[in-house]
Amino acid sequence: MIQLINLTKRYGTLAAVDGLNLEVPTGEIFGFLGPNGAGKTTTIRVMMGILKATSGRALLDGHDVVSAAQKAKAIAGFIPDRPFIYEKLSGSEFLQFVGKLHRVQSSLLERRIAELLQKLELTAWKDELVESYSHGMKQRLVVCAALIHEPRILIVDEPMVGMDPKGARTLKDLFSNLAGNGTTIFMSTHSIGVAEEICHRIGIIQMGRLIACGTMPELHRQAAGNHGNLESVFLQLTREQERDHMTPRAIS
Amino acid sequence: MSSVVLLLSPLWLTWKNSFCRGGSSWTRRIFLAVLAISFWLGTYLIIRRVLRYFETVYELGPGLAYQLLLIILLTFLSMLLFSNLVASLSTYFLARDLDLIQSAPVSPKAFFYARLFNTTLNSSWMVLFFSVPIFAAYEAVFGGGLKLYVWVAAILPLFLIIPASLGAMVTHLLVYCLPARRIRDILFFFGLFAFLIMYFLFRFSQPERLVQPESFGNFMQFLTAMETPSSPFLPSSWLAEILGTTLFKRDNESGFYFALLASYALFLPLAASWVSSAVYLDGWSKAQESRQGRRKLDWLERALDWITRPFPELTGAIMLKDIKTFLRDTTQWSQLFLLLALIVVYLYNFKVLPLDRSPMPAGTIRTIVSFANLALAGFVLSAIAIRFAFPAISLEGKAFWLLQTAPISLRALLWSKFWLNFVPLLVLGELLVFLSNLLLRVPPWMMFLSLATVLLMTAGIAAIGVGVGAMYPKFHFDNAAEIPTSFGGAVCMMVSIAFIGVMVMIEAWPIYQLTVASLRPGRIVTPTFWIIGPSIFVATALTAAAVILSLQLGIRRLEQLRE
Repeated sequence: MIQLINLTKRYGTLAAVDGLNLEVPTGEIFGFLGPNGAGKTTTIRVMMGILKATSGRALLDGHDVVSAAQKAKAIAGFIPDRPFIYEKLSGSEFLQFVGKLHRVQSSLLERRIAELLQKLELTAWKDELVESYSHGMKQRLVVCAALIHEPRILIVDEPMVGMDPKGARTLKDLFSNLAGNGTTIFMSTHSIGVAEEICHRIGIIQMGRLIACGTMPELHRQAAGNHGNLESVFLQLTREQERDHMTPRAIS
Repeated sequence: MSSVVLLLSPLWLTWKNSFCRGGSSWTRRIFLAVLAISFWLGTYLIIRRVLRYFETVYELGPGLAYQLLLIILLTFLSMLLFSNLVASLSTYFLARDLDLIQSAPVSPKAFFYARLFNTTLNSSWMVLFFSVPIFAAYEAVFGGGLKLYVWVAAILPLFLIIPASLGAMVTHLLVYCLPARRIRDILFFFGLFAFLIMYFLFRFSQPERLVQPESFGNFMQFLTAMETPSSPFLPSSWLAEILGTTLFKRDNESGFYFALLASYALFLPLAASWVSSAVYLDGWSKAQESRQGRRKLDWLERALDWITRPFPELTGAIMLKDIKTFLRDTTQWSQLFLLLALIVVYLYNFKVLPLDRSPMPAGTIRTIVSFANLALAGFVLSAIAIRFAFPAISLEGKAFWLLQTAPISLRALLWSKFWLNFVPLLVLGELLVFLSNLLLRVPPWMMFLSLATVLLMTAGIAAIGVGVGAMYPKFHFDNAAEIPTSFGGAVCMMVSIAFIGVMVMIEAWPIYQLTVASLRPGRIVTPTFWIIGPSIFVATALTAAAVILSLQLGIRRLEQLRE
């Protein structure tokens, strides 16, 4: 379970995340939507303990990401929007490294690596240096790294960028299966189609504030009876909010 | 401990993979190895020669050699302090793998020590590399045998840890104290810090004492001054004391100094780790935050417009972009502080030269030193050109496609880069030579010849920098500082030095003629056109060839990139 309690992150006078309260129950895929600069990436970085919140707390399965950082990180997997991979390591060397960072036992690690590489169709490339991978392959390798320790919580920032349709399909199926097995997934995305297709609930953030949250029917209600698809609901909700705050206040 | 080893594993795996299946060819590796061995041998032979000469100075030999050792170690210490500050900023706060590491359940202590090791390695390998031939030369002249090498192996790692820990500690505090995303300000401090360290350490070592025994009043005072370490609080002095015991059979308490060194080498990493555990997350969090916008400086816009106006519109536009990028990239402009320190130390050297005690007439020796200064200024300019002109094309980086797809010729691009580097290098070169010639009080003809030579030399050096930089572009880099250390950078340095060598040789003939003439008593030398003219002509022709050839080869290579 993920809990964000009054989470605020300020950059000087700019509130990137402004008093965010949110709870994502176990086994749910939560879609985090918002326009550019709404505070999505900042929220995710605070949740992973990469950025320190100005105030408020983020709890992963009850572990505070600041005071119990190691426990929180041990149960979480992270897929960043611009992932870094050591270019001069081979795919399997990279996964070995990440697996050991998460203290996966050696005997189990080999099996997990083989399993994940096969699932993400990278087995043939496992001994090649990462520098020779295409963008989509690197994305898939990062997904393998995030799942190597079988995390109970998966935090994903823009997972489909640069993926071909087949890769995107594989990833969507993977996320659905993981959630089915009890993994909580928090996914920030610009891709409304993806959110609509696989997320159980969707939260819309704008200017650092959660302006809407719920299942698709709940979002339709919040958009004052707009019964169109998620795109039109999203546009209506964010437009209304923009009217109230003409001056941009937040960045991500 | 195992976590530290694990965190370091990408480092050695990267080395292993780069070596075993990296793209660089064996020819290139052999070339680099030969280059490294040549530098190693060169350093060894020069230091041994100097030490042998010192040995011939009656009774003062070991004192002089000790003082030289002290200066060398002090130089190492100052270099290490600065490079560790920069390296720890990068390893702890700016490295691209930090998100990956920090999102894993890694203990802060393991992370700190792994990065400290990384920092020490990154910033100290060059000192390690150059120190070996120096110690070997000392051993060859003064003896010490295996015992010396055992001492070196025992104390050098301790010596390297001290500035690394200090660098890590200061970096943590700076990043913590300065407001959000002020890396540029931090680097500004680093630049200033380095300048002050270099300046003060240089002053503390008082190298002029080596050549001015009379200024001490009497011989014994001089000897005592030489025997005393420059500052008893510096680790470099402790190192010199320990090595001095073995090398010069000095009666010192090397055990005490070793204990001092070891205690600091053990305590400082611990103290730095305390600081890190207290401030790291806050500091790193701040380091990632964006600035809240910039103020537009109208006067700067106007100045840039004025500077680029004389050039064709296209060249001017590229220059304007480059200048703005340079001024907004702290990693680039902060190096100007180092340049400032370099100039101060450079001119200081001329101020303290004991020319009046030479057996030659003062005018003659001044002319000879001024001539040698031409080569020195050339080396300084080429070192700076490697840092700024050589990366000019590579710095276009991943945005090079923009220039490739724009309707501009590569010729215009390279010429714009040439002018952009030539003008500031020329100002610097002329300033260096003019000021040092003023300090030397050289005759007007020498001043003219020097300034003209520097003008030509700078044009050649800037063109070689830009041209060779275009021949060996490195568009994919993590840090701009990597570009000059590439294979192309070594080629550029060698071509530049060869060019300076030939230029100096061309000027040697008229200066030799005029210097010999001035040695005749009562003769006032007034050079004729036929003495200076031909060499200026040949130097001009050589410069023109260097400029055209370098830029042409650079253009050809960039054209090949399109194929």
